[in-house]
Amino acid sequence: MVEELTKTSFTIPVGPVHPAVHEPVRLEVTVDGEEVVGADVFAGQVHRGIEWIGMNRNNPVQTVYLAERICGICSACHPFTFVLACERAANIEVPKRADYIRVIVAEIERIHSHLLWAGVAAHEIGFDSVFYLVWRVREKVMDLTEYITGNRNTKAMYMIGGVRRDITEEQFPTIREAMDYYKSIFNQLKTVFLDDITIKLRTRNVGILPKEDALKLVAAGPTVRASGVPKDVRQDQAYGAYADLDIKAITPDVITGKVVGDVYDRIIVRLLEVKQSIEIIERCLEEMPAGEILSEPKMVKLLTALKKADGSAVARSEAPRGECFHYVRMEEGRETLATWKVRAPTYANLMSIPVMVIGQQIADVPITFASIDPCFSCTNRAIMVKPDANGSQVLEKEELHRLSIEKTRRLEANLAN
Amino acid sequence: MDILTPEEIVKSFESALGNNLSDSKIYQSEVAVKRNLFTSISLYVKPDSFRDAVKHICELQEYPHLIVISPSDRGDNVELIYHITIYYGQHLKEISLLLSVTLSKNNLKIPTITDMIPGTIYAEREVQEMMGVEVVGIPDNRRLFLPDDFPAGVCPWRRDETGPEEMLRVLPGRKGIQHG
Amino acid sequence: MGLNSFKRALWVYHLNTGSCNGCDIEILAALTPRYDVERFGIVLVGSPRHADVLLVTGPVTRQMEPRLKRLYDQTPDPKVVMAIGNCGIEGDVFHESYNLAGPIDQIVPVDVYVPGCPPRPEAIIEGVVKAWLKLEKPVEEKVA
Repeated sequence: MVEELTKTSFTIPVGPVHPAVHEPVRLEVTVDGEEVVGADVFAGQVHRGIEWIGMNRNNPVQTVYLAERICGICSACHPFTFVLACERAANIEVPKRADYIRVIVAEIERIHSHLLWAGVAAHEIGFDSVFYLVWRVREKVMDLTEYITGNRNTKAMYMIGGVRRDITEEQFPTIREAMDYYKSIFNQLKTVFLDDITIKLRTRNVGILPKEDALKLVAAGPTVRASGVPKDVRQDQAYGAYADLDIKAITPDVITGKVVGDVYDRIIVRLLEVKQSIEIIERCLEEMPAGEILSEPKMVKLLTALKKADGSAVARSEAPRGECFHYVRMEEGRETLATWKVRAPTYANLMSIPVMVIGQQIADVPITFASIDPCFSCTNRAIMVKPDANGSQVLEKEELHRLSIEKTRRLEANLAN
Repeated sequence: MDILTPEEIVKSFESALGNNLSDSKIYQSEVAVKRNLFTSISLYVKPDSFRDAVKHICELQEYPHLIVISPSDRGDNVELIYHITIYYGQHLKEISLLLSVTLSKNNLKIPTITDMIPGTIYAEREVQEMMGVEVVGIPDNRRLFLPDDFPAGVCPWRRDETGPEEMLRVLPGRKGIQHG
Repeated sequence: MGLNSFKRALWVYHLNTGSCNGCDIEILAALTPRYDVERFGIVLVGSPRHADVLLVTGPVTRQMEPRLKRLYDQTPDPKVVMAIGNCGIEGDVFHESYNLAGPIDQIVPVDVYVPGCPPRPEAIIEGVVKAWLKLEKPVEEKVA
């Protein structure tokens, strides 16, 4: 009996991608010639037992800092969601000014994350110069983060009951100047990503996720909005200062007039969200209420109140990659949390990968995979490939990346003729 | 599909499940300056009527949004909470449901719901390996996060003899767990 | 010191053993036009067999431990191992967990430690320069 399928298995890079960055995730695909006929995802190689540490070793205030290190790229959404859940469980009021500061920090993080992703996506297609240019543009937002919070990546702004540092009136002009800078180059970014013919050829009709599959497989974030479902936690179940601003979920028919659900649509959604974030930050600066920033500044009193608290609560927030969820249960007299469950956004988007990848060519697999913006440290997962009965040959990342770049060069040569 | 108020949702569950709904709680809090409401409803159902409860949620919302399953070790019982949201896609209308099922440790079995909500597969795989609960009828039985050579009886989220204490890595010079 | 120029370009291989990606982004940021280490000849390569320096981030999870050992063996001598970020140095917030195999120096010998959570790109560059000096020294002594 002759085997029809030739099986080749790949190790695919995930996360902040660069040819030499070896991310601990694996995606195994089964190929027949050039076409992908099966895919499987393995996760778990970043599993550090964070929930266990939070439930058995840390008090809730220490867990805020632990939540920050679940993921270095989205290091504002996890502590934000966690403190929201603790405040609801322990009935702690948050001052209104703190709500607005939290939103400003979260939106700055969204701009940084989407620009990071845009550079990575350009790299996957083979436009390295765009990668370097976009990351250079991103440095302005990193400077702004450092100006407000003191550090480029881990921000340490959130605390149960408010925020730890204030954004004063003297800091407003610097923030406004950074936002003006981004407004001035936004049209350039749009032209580079949305009007370039080669990018359109590489991303249009690639990695399609139909609307019904996106709903059934509970995808979240730009992945599901690009498929036409307007799910956005900032619009549906607003938290913090978002409840005062009317946020609309962005779907790609705003620009193109139709929804296809492919990689190109995801680029559109993410670029438009950068613009939306700039507008949100400017509105927050205008409408910031005066007042306190922390409802209980003394740490000992806060810890005693948390130890006496008894209750459970959920909190959800919109991270750059999708919906981030925390569930917290506290028992009276217990110093650590009784139950803590985290669900990061990539957890939900991973299930859509096999649907998106099957039927594509091998050379399109890297860009499809990068288009859900996977953050495996958030998911604590690794992607694995199932080996075939024939034995599998492992292709390293560079091979896959090389296939992707070759396809781009072929398309460019065809255009030139 | 019309949007029901939280009280109407609880009433519809009472009429669908009858006695199998042991308890329900509505939690609402005001958010920010304009004081819009955040709503979450906790529903406590008996294990036998668990699938009926999920079916009823599918009637309230086409394609309900299941987030995750959170397990808690309560001594003799294990409490599983299915976090689902309905009425998404509309401004300020979404409601969080916490569907809570309590299983005794002698009988840790719960039926799968991947036929109704296919996106539950990862959550069920995680609950199987982390808590030791058997999900009856699960289409994919493999481990999700733990390495394959992790010992089979150890369940990291339990607080009893199957907990992961023996697997802890205490660094040279450190004292070890100091919790209560 | 007497060193007027470096005698070789430094090829660097990066491995993530389970980190939160914070340090990894700062390593990539060192390549971007603001810090731009490529003008010194420092290049990120795709295979450990071409590398002089191993940049390791992350507390080593159980699944990644055999991989780290294998990559260390595949890198040819002379080599320098750098541990970047607090997790790799001594565990940081994750120091007691059921899925960790210990910080990096319990598994492979480490030459340069760059602390920080995450360390700034300037700190990483300084660490790479120290590694460079460490690599160059034995060569110089042999020539003399």
